[in-house]
Amino acid sequence: MKLTWKIWVLVFALAFAAMSVLNIPIMYNILLGILIISILATLSFVQEKSTRIFLLILTGVAILAIIFFTAQQGVVISSVTVDSTAFNEGLKKGMIITAINGNAIKSTEDYSSQISSLFPTANKTKLQVQTTTGNFIFLTNETPAISVSSISKTNLKTGLDLSGGARAMIRPVNLTLSSSEMADLISITSSRLNTFGISDVNVRSVSDLAGNNFVLIEVAGLTTDELKDLVGQQGKFEAKIGNETVFIGGEKDIASVCRTDATCAGIRECLPSSDGSYYCSFSFTIYLSPLAAERHALITNNLSVNSTDENGTLFAGGGKYLSERLNLIVDDKLVDTLLISEGLKGSSTTQISISGSGTGATKEDAYNAAKANMKKLQTILITGSLPYKLEIVKLDSASPVLGKEFTKNIIYLGLIVFAIVSTLLFIKYRKIKITLAVILTMFSEALITLGIAALIKWNLDAPSIAGIIAGMGTGVNDQIVIIDESISEEQENLKDKIKRAFFIIVGAFFTIIAAMLPLFWAGAGLLRGFALTTIIGVTVGILITRPAFGDIIKRIQE
Amino acid sequence: MSEEKIESNNIEKSHEQHHASHTNGKLNLFKNFDYNKWYKFMFIIPLLFLLLSVFYIGLTYSRTGDFILKDVSLSGGTSITIHGDFDYAKLESELKTQYEDISFKKLSDISSGKQIAFIVESSAEPEPLKASIENILGTTLTTENSSTEFSGPALSSSFYKQLIFALLISFILMSIVIFILFRTFIPSMAVIFSAFADIVMPLAVINYFGIRLSTAGIAAFLMLIGYSVDTDILLTTRALKKKGGTLNHRIFGAFKTGIFMTSTALFAVLPAFFIVTGLPDSFRQIFLILALGLSADIINTWLTNASIIKWYCEKHDIK
Repeated sequence: MKLTWKIWVLVFALAFAAMSVLNIPIMYNILLGILIISILATLSFVQEKSTRIFLLILTGVAILAIIFFTAQQGVVISSVTVDSTAFNEGLKKGMIITAINGNAIKSTEDYSSQISSLFPTANKTKLQVQTTTGNFIFLTNETPAISVSSISKTNLKTGLDLSGGARAMIRPVNLTLSSSEMADLISITSSRLNTFGISDVNVRSVSDLAGNNFVLIEVAGLTTDELKDLVGQQGKFEAKIGNETVFIGGEKDIASVCRTDATCAGIRECLPSSDGSYYCSFSFTIYLSPLAAERHALITNNLSVNSTDENGTLFAGGGKYLSERLNLIVDDKLVDTLLISEGLKGSSTTQISISGSGTGATKEDAYNAAKANMKKLQTILITGSLPYKLEIVKLDSASPVLGKEFTKNIIYLGLIVFAIVSTLLFIKYRKIKITLAVILTMFSEALITLGIAALIKWNLDAPSIAGIIAGMGTGVNDQIVIIDESISEEQENLKDKIKRAFFIIVGAFFTIIAAMLPLFWAGAGLLRGFALTTIIGVTVGILITRPAFGDIIKRIQE
Repeated sequence: MSEEKIESNNIEKSHEQHHASHTNGKLNLFKNFDYNKWYKFMFIIPLLFLLLSVFYIGLTYSRTGDFILKDVSLSGGTSITIHGDFDYAKLESELKTQYEDISFKKLSDISSGKQIAFIVESSAEPEPLKASIENILGTTLTTENSSTEFSGPALSSSFYKQLIFALLISFILMSIVIFILFRTFIPSMAVIFSAFADIVMPLAVINYFGIRLSTAGIAAFLMLIGYSVDTDILLTTRALKKKGGTLNHRIFGAFKTGIFMTSTALFAVLPAFFIVTGLPDSFRQIFLILALGLSADIINTWLTNASIIKWYCEKHDIK
């Protein structure tokens, strides 16, 4: 069987798809591409059957070898806490760690065992992090504030429902945002998630057919409650003395916030309450901008110094404090109220200690609650507030455990469908060549669709995969039309028969495109994946695999 | 005589014989059957099904105020999927006493018989529902052992309206493509009518079984619009554009190709219900609707559409 240009197109498309799907170093990727192209080409020129089968097996083995031996070793950084030592030293999300202090890191287990053998430690130790992009050496006594995950063998990304994670759709209450306001909302939302140290954040604006705009947030490893707290709130922070605002959240008033350094931020104490639950308090230092410090001086200057509180009780330890307290308010709710010591009266202090608390049924719960509250407070102090209230219109979370089970089952199902379709085709046509040609085409369509999905970094959710399968289904339909037309005994030449088959196929192609197109806009694009993979699948079919299949069938028939 | 080739591998036959005299097994059915006489009546069967379906959908409308039964993604509310070994019978009975509008779905793996997940759906907000479940099961629902979906009522009703609008647009676009393809009124209308029946019949079945549709379910109907007209295009093209053979031969040839196409597709979607059942709900709904639509398509294409095209050809002397 000689290769026509149409079959060449298919061969090249297959090679590129395989290159796009596999996450392997570029050199190996190019090698893989060349290998697939050359072997498929040789296959078609070699007439002897046993040689062909041998070549086919060789291709399979070569591909598998490439997958197994070239999968990158190391772990990938999935997130770095902003302003942490690791962050300041230049470690970034997406870098691949290959060794720590000279010890090779091959898995996330290696990483955790290395790190836990080094930290926590009292004295600063040297940490040498070797990555594929360079070496980072720093002295530290704290666990690097990064999280790592294993490197994926493919470039395919699965959607929230299959990989697990949380998703929220938010919009301002009773307000339509201009595109620049929308961009602000997205950047504040993203920076809140970033300062919180969350990996795999995806924040984007979506709109629907009714003209509504939303911000869609997808993250891994957060509960819906946490996500709701982080992105659903306006985040209006005010520090007030009496009725006067001393400073608010955001970079205008707050120069910096101490977050990871244990000497200026952390949980201070945990005590049992009278009802048996626990209560933990936290505090951290913030540094005010000169402007806000000036305001503090002005306001406190007018206050009197007292040695008793509002109820006339003497302050503990005989301290003296100002007549008004500093009230910390988040979204119009009082979070904490602090006494101001007399020494701060009229001073343009820049350093202020912010405190708060968390409660829980057990000491651990209370500790975690306090820690979460501290993080939240720090986040809104850094990012500032939004000029409007937000509402959460959709809030989903998916379990990664269940997602894994689903993914596994979908792969099984795909294999079973493949087997069933191949069997039916063989039973009907009783020709191994025709059956193989259809199987090759089905496989090509799936692989090329996945390759395109990997290339455009599309998150494949369950409906997207259903779309790929349905696309393969229409593909099989088309191939049945081609086969039936070509083997018919009409007194026409084969070319005309194939031409008529293509009229049917093109018609079916346009109807499915027409039918799926509206899904791109309806429902804020949440079902876009379903439409997209179907459309990619049928387009790959009509442009690449179907013409090649037509030629293959012509060769088989001749 | 294209249609005999496939069936005739082990049967000796003469090519010039009239089709009604074949001894081939499948053709036997048609041996004593005069298609020319019966085709007009064959149109009545799907028509009855269609009327029944429309009537049943009307009944659903009068009962619920809508054509379909909507799940929480379209009506607003919370869906919590729990997996793990818990006493789900107890959960079901106790939640029923606490919430009025609550429904349950079980997801089990048919091959191992293992229950994979239990889905609770209600119009309630996620927090109280989650708290009730945690209370009954005596465990904490974490991101590991549960998945939650919440859609605000305003958003879901907007999604619903948009998806129905999309369905309409999809149908109109499909109709335009069909008219451009065939450029004749009656054959095009026959295809469009058949596609319409392909949507209405599965919808009636889904309503009958009380299945609540999700956003993915409606999306599947859009796909059905595109997917189900494959065979109608095949039939119409073969009947109108193919040279050689009698009209009946051409229709029957198209039938043999088309029925194999549809049954292959049906066999491909069935394992999702009988072999690998532990699949996401969205995935299952898409497959269920495709399966029902493909089944409906068999009668709509080969009884409705075929009868109309045959009548049209007879009238316009296309032999």
